Formats: sequence, structure tokens, C-alpha cells
Amino acid sequence: MKFDDETTDVLIGGYMSKNAAQEDYEAVLASGGYLHGAVVVSKDLQGNLSVEQTDRMVREGAAGLGAVGFVVGLFAPPLLAATAIGAVIGAGAGKLLHRKTASKLEEQAGATIPLGGAGLIVAYPHSAAAKVEPAVTRAIQKVVGEAEGHHVQALKGAIADAQQKMAESGS
Amino acid sequence: MRDNGYSTAAFGKWHLTPDGQQGPAGPFDRWPSGWGFDYFYGFLGGGASQWDPVLAENQKIIGTPDGFYDEENRYYFPDAMADKTIEWLHAVRAQNARKPFFVYFSTGCSHAPHHVAKAWADKYQGRFDQGWDRLREQTFARQKALGVIPADTELTERNEAFPAWDDVPQHLKAFYARQMEVYAGYSENADHNVGRVIDVIEELGELGNTLIIWIWGDNGASMEGTITGSFNEMTMQNGIPLTDEMQLQLCERYGGIEAWGGDLMDPHYGAAWAWAGNTPFQWGKQVGSHLGGTRDPMVICWPERVTGNGGLRSQFTHVIDVAPTILDVAGIPVPSSVDGIDQEPMHGVAFTGTLIDPAAPEHRTQQYFETIGNRAMYKDGWWLAIRTPRIPWVVTPEALKPYAPGVWDPDADPAELYYLPDDFSQAHDLAAEHPEKVAELKELFWAEAERYQVLPLLAALSAFFGIVPPLPEQTRFEFRGDVQNVLSGMIPRIYNHSYAISADLVVPEGGAEGVIVAEADHLGGFSLFVDDRGKLTHTYSMMGVFIYRQQAEQPLPAGEVTVRIEFAADAPKPATGGEVTLFINDRPAGTGRMDHTVPIRFSGYAGMDIGRDNGGVVDRGYEDRKPFPFTGTIKKVVFDVKPHLAGEDEHLLHAAAHHGHAAHALAQ
Repeated sequence: MKFDDETTDVLIGGYMSKNAAQEDYEAVLASGGYLHGAVVVSKDLQGNLSVEQTDRMVREGAAGLGAVGFVVGLFAPPLLAATAIGAVIGAGAGKLLHRKTASKLEEQAGATIPLGGAGLIVAYPHSAAAKVEPAVTRAIQKVVGEAEGHHVQALKGAIADAQQKMAESGS
Repeated sequence: MRDNGYSTAAFGKWHLTPDGQQGPAGPFDRWPSGWGFDYFYGFLGGGASQWDPVLAENQKIIGTPDGFYDEENRYYFPDAMADKTIEWLHAVRAQNARKPFFVYFSTGCSHAPHHVAKAWADKYQGRFDQGWDRLREQTFARQKALGVIPADTELTERNEAFPAWDDVPQHLKAFYARQMEVYAGYSENADHNVGRVIDVIEELGELGNTLIIWIWGDNGASMEGTITGSFNEMTMQNGIPLTDEMQLQLCERYGGIEAWGGDLMDPHYGAAWAWAGNTPFQWGKQVGSHLGGTRDPMVICWPERVTGNGGLRSQFTHVIDVAPTILDVAGIPVPSSVDGIDQEPMHGVAFTGTLIDPAAPEHRTQQYFETIGNRAMYKDGWWLAIRTPRIPWVVTPEALKPYAPGVWDPDADPAELYYLPDDFSQAHDLAAEHPEKVAELKELFWAEAERYQVLPLLAALSAFFGIVPPLPEQTRFEFRGDVQNVLSGMIPRIYNHSYAISADLVVPEGGAEGVIVAEADHLGGFSLFVDDRGKLTHTYSMMGVFIYRQQAEQPLPAGEVTVRIEFAADAPKPATGGEVTLFINDRPAGTGRMDHTVPIRFSGYAGMDIGRDNGGVVDRGYEDRKPFPFTGTIKKVVFDVKPHLAGEDEHLLHAAAHHGHAAHALAQ
């Protein structure tokens, strides 16, 4: 099935540990669902960033996840008084979408992922959702955005939609 | 005891010195020395890290033990506590072969944090895989076989507040089981160290005529780990709700299941394990209405006087009876005056008679109980239990709302009635059958509560209702020199509002690095430090759940430098978010946002240090250089704890923060 012809889904998962994000990342890769790409990013307690990705779109010569921008929203457990962490992350996310080069991936993630946190982004055709989404079992927050259109535009649109949902779920 | 010829010493937990008095300015009348102890080695708070406690010795805070930094021979408080006790006993006997001694040995165990070496926990590997429901049944059967509970005792039902073990998701069972393995290892280690002390008394040839009273538990086993158990026991006390998946991930963040019990977490097991630990009773700590929250085992050994090892005593006894019993046994009258000060009469009654005679008559016929609004009245075998319907570990605003002062009607709480001679475990509620007894005991409770200064009743910790001590009139706190180990309850109160921390430094040519000021550790605290590139950095740990770090763009200049961190709160409210701005010589140098801050307290036991970060560190980035002392000179550190910034100041701070954001973005 051609990528251009259908809806693109982007799943964003937020985690409190690298282990959990890595488990879901590996589960997604093993799910059997077709993936446009997947990225797992984590930052340890010292501030060291770790990135692992599979990006079929890059291999195919198209702009991939790294090229269109990276962001992850993380968990927002309600505290004594409700706060809007998601809205803050969402606001920052919009700027990151305008990054143009894959080389910025680590820099973007470094500015976005909190110490000790981790994030997972998976892009896939909507037809693979039934296999991909159930594989993500450990995300503290999980949202799926979707968009139609040309592949890069669709990917951008789906990420933006996911970011919006992440922001709303955290507020 | 001291005034009557005894050498006296206290080791371990104290928790009788108010927060504001735990420093060199005292006063010391509520320190152990003020209570009659010649010697003290332990901690003043309610709990302590067992790996890096902030210790007190006699009338001095001595801080983190040097052994914390010895990777080869790691310090462990329970071992040190027994070592110190043995050392003291030997020293007393070296000086005086006959002088009687009195030792108060109060372990940190089994209070959280549940810290123990992995080898001790591993001894219990697989022993709790059956879960809490089955564990209760097994314990109950063993209690019956041993005869420590009446043969007709019934095992009480599981309250729906506790999940069934069978309903725990499969992937979480190992996580939960490890919590109990660590608790068991921790408890066995404490028992081992108590045994070391007793062995020494025996070696001295004095065991026969030494009365040993051993009481075990934490107001009944503690449910303060919430249902999930917690990687950091202080999360519950700060009202931070975390799901079991969050707890597991946070546990993974700090080393994983195998590291539970190590020094990177301050763990507490799940509430259902505590409930199982209170078999055959209902509930646990904080639920003073039921025996699960009030009844602890007591074992007494006095070989020359109490014969018939393994005998049982079932007379109703309360902990306040222990002191009169000790005085009675020692032949010391209850003092009416000490050092010229009239003494309040002791409320307890000696149970000496039961030691000698198992059939001795009941020495006490009534007793009230109260913990955070949960209350009970015992009289002649009858037990009135009134539990607020709030689940003790749920402290969300919604859960607390019905219990706010002025809203809560304690008399509307449901009452239960038990008759203990026929119902050891409180399995049969007789309230509906005996309304007159319920009314009688309710009335008696209020009378006793007034008589013993229990009133006014509050249904949760006062801080949850915003009832906190008034902010001190002093809003500026200066620290000069290398002040260290300021106990956590004594730090300037920076919670829930705007504040500023500044420091006057001298930075040598070539730069400086190290900690300027740090409170507590990575599981809750803050650190203002200069990193190895000379950059001013502020790290704030919101109980190890959220960790924020802001850093200056440029390294500190050489010479005399003033640095400052300002937190501009969104609003003066619990856990407020806000903007952080770093200043170097009054110019903004870095910014960041903290969405959540600590509402109540960073730590129950770690301290604040100027010029270093003692014990576990706040920012794991300098862990390999701990305590990371500052290599320049710190002339002073100043906290400015304003109730809240004025609107104009707030606006200026936010403007500076936004300006900093923009500058940061342009620089990329």
C-alpha cells in the first residue's frame, strides 16, 4: 500500500523510564505492523541523551521523522492542584516542528525530554494501527494523531495532531 | 533512671524534638539529653535513610557518616547502631562493673525507607510470590499453630480498598513481590542487630537480670506506601498520586526492581502488604480505630524473674504502660517533680504483675485511641471503632474536601462495635445489636479526648487543609561559613510561593566548580552549583518524579561574583509552577520553567549544606564527585523567602524569564 494514498498515524508515548520506552519500542518493531519510522529517546539522570530510531522514510530518501521535527509530551499526574504541564509542552512543540534537518533530532530531544524521562514516536499507515497501537502498553501518556495528504505534509500534520492531543490530555 | 543511679543511653529513632529545635541553638530540653539520657546516637526525625542518615550524637548534629563515601566498606545505620550500643555497654562496664544501665534501642526499621543490602532481601526471593491474600492465610494458620491467637479467632475479610492479588496485572507481580522481600530482609536485619546487642549483654554475664522489652511494628504495619508501594515514601506525604505503572517506571529510573532497598530509592511497600503484616486484623497504620492500626507484638525477657519461656500474656496493655512498668521493676517511684518542675502524672499503669503471674487480673479497663481522625474507645472488652470513610493513603483535594474543618461532622462517621473477649480479630460488628453500648462509648471517647488533649480532631495531617505554622516573621536567612546538615524541617520554607537564593562568591582565576547550596537529594531537593565547565546551574527535584535543571549560558567570571536564583511562582498555591531565572552579577544568565514544585517537604531526613552536597546528591551529574565541595570561596548564602512577590515584581521576573527564553531560542 502506498504511503501517499492513505492516512498517516503518529503515536506519541511518554515514559518515566528508558526501560519502559525501550520495551514498547521493541514491541512496536516486533508487532508486524508496517512502520514509516519509530524513534525512542531518553535522557538519564546525568543529562545524557540516548536516541534509537528506525526510519524507513529516510532509507527511502524521503524526509523522515528526524527531518520534520521531534517532540514528546510527557505524563502529567495531577497534583494537589491541577496544573497544565501538557499545555506547556504543547506550546514548545509547535516551534520544534519547524526544525528542518535530521541532525537536529538530538538537539530537539535534548531540549524536550526531561531528566530521567523518555519518549517514543511511531509513524505508520492507519492500516497498521491494529497491530502497532496494542504493542505500546507501558506509556504513561499515549496519544495518536492522524493526517492525510502528501507524505511529509501528512507526517507533519499527524505529529501536530498528536501534539495537540498530548497537550490537551495533560491539562 | 539517670537520676536514680542508672547509666542511660538512647540509640536510633528519637522523633521527640520539634523541627525548629534540631540545631545548635537548641533548646535541648527535648533532645535525648533533656529526657534523661547520658548518651545518644541516632536521628532526631521520624525516619532516616539507613544508608546516609543525618545523625545526631548527644547534642550535636554530626551529619552524614564518613562511611557513606567508603565504597568498599559501606556504612549501614542498623549495623552502626548496634556497634555503638555495644561500644557504649563495653565502655560503661570498663569504668564501672556494677552500675545498672538503661538502654533505649529504637531501630529505624521497620519504618520506611525500607533500606537493606540486596543479600538480605534475596534471602526471601520467591517467598512472597503467592501474594498478600495467600500470605494472610498462611500467617493466620501459623499463628493458630503457635497458639499466639485464640483458637476461635476468625480471619477478617479483605476490605475493597485493597486489591485482590489475583487482580494484580501479571507484569507487576514481580515488582510487588520484591517490595515485600526487601521489607522482610530489612526486618530480619534489624532482628539480627538486636540479637548482637543481646549477645553482648549475655557475654557480660548480665542477661539473667536484665529486663528486655521488645516491641515491634510501626503503629501496626504502615500503609503509607499507598496501594502501589512507592519508590519514594515522601511522594504520599506530598500528596502526589502515582499509578503502579508510574511507580514501576520510577523504580526502573533509579535502578530497577533489584535496586529496591538500595540507596537510590527511599522505598515503602504497598498497603496490601502492610495489611497482610497485620494479620488477622483489619487495616493498618493511621487507622487507629482498628487493631490493625494499633496492635503491635510485645515480647519480654527477664530470665531470672519471668519463668516459663514462651508463655503468653493476654491482659489488655497499652504502650503508655511500659514506662510505669520499668519504674516499678526498678523500684523507682513515679516522680512528681524533676529538677524542680512538677510532672504530669503518668497515664499508664504498671503491668509488672502479669510478668510474674499469667493469670494476673487486668490492670487496665479502658483506653482511647486516635490517629488522624480515626478513633476507638476500649472499655471492659468492648471496642468502639469509628473510622472516617476516607482511605488513609488517598490525599487528593477531592478526597479531603469532606473532612475539612467546619465541614466534617465526626459524629456522622459510621461506628462499629466489637467485643474482644469473643472476637480477637474484630471480625463481627455488633453495633446494630448494641446501640446503647455504642452511645456509651462514644460519649466516653469525647470525655477522654478532652481529658487527654486530643481535641480538636482533624481527619488528616493539618498541612493538607492548609493549616501550617505561620510563616516566620523573618524572611531573610543568611548562612555564612560551611554550615552543614541543616535538618530538613529547619530549612527556609520555600514551598508554594516565590523566593530567591543568592550567594556572594569569590571565583579564582581559572574558574571554580562545586556546590554552593544543596538541600536533600535526588529524591526531593534543590542544588545551586557550578558545573565542571564553570556554569551556574540550578537543579530542582520534585520528589524524584520531575527533575528540572536550569543553567547559565556562560561560565562564571573570576573575582567577586554575586549569583542568584529567583523562582517566580505562578500563584501562591500548593505545588505551584513557576519561572526560574538565574542571575550573575544581577544580569539574567539563564532561565527555565518548573511546572510542579514540592508542596510540603523535600525530605523527611536529608539535610541542607552550604558549600557541598553531603550524602546522596541532588544532581546525579556530579555524583562521582560527591560531596562536590565548592572550589572558590562562598562568603554568604542568602534566602529571601517572601510570602509572594508583589504584582510588579512578578511582572518583572516573568518579563526577564521570557526575555531569557527568547535569547536562548535565537542562539540556536
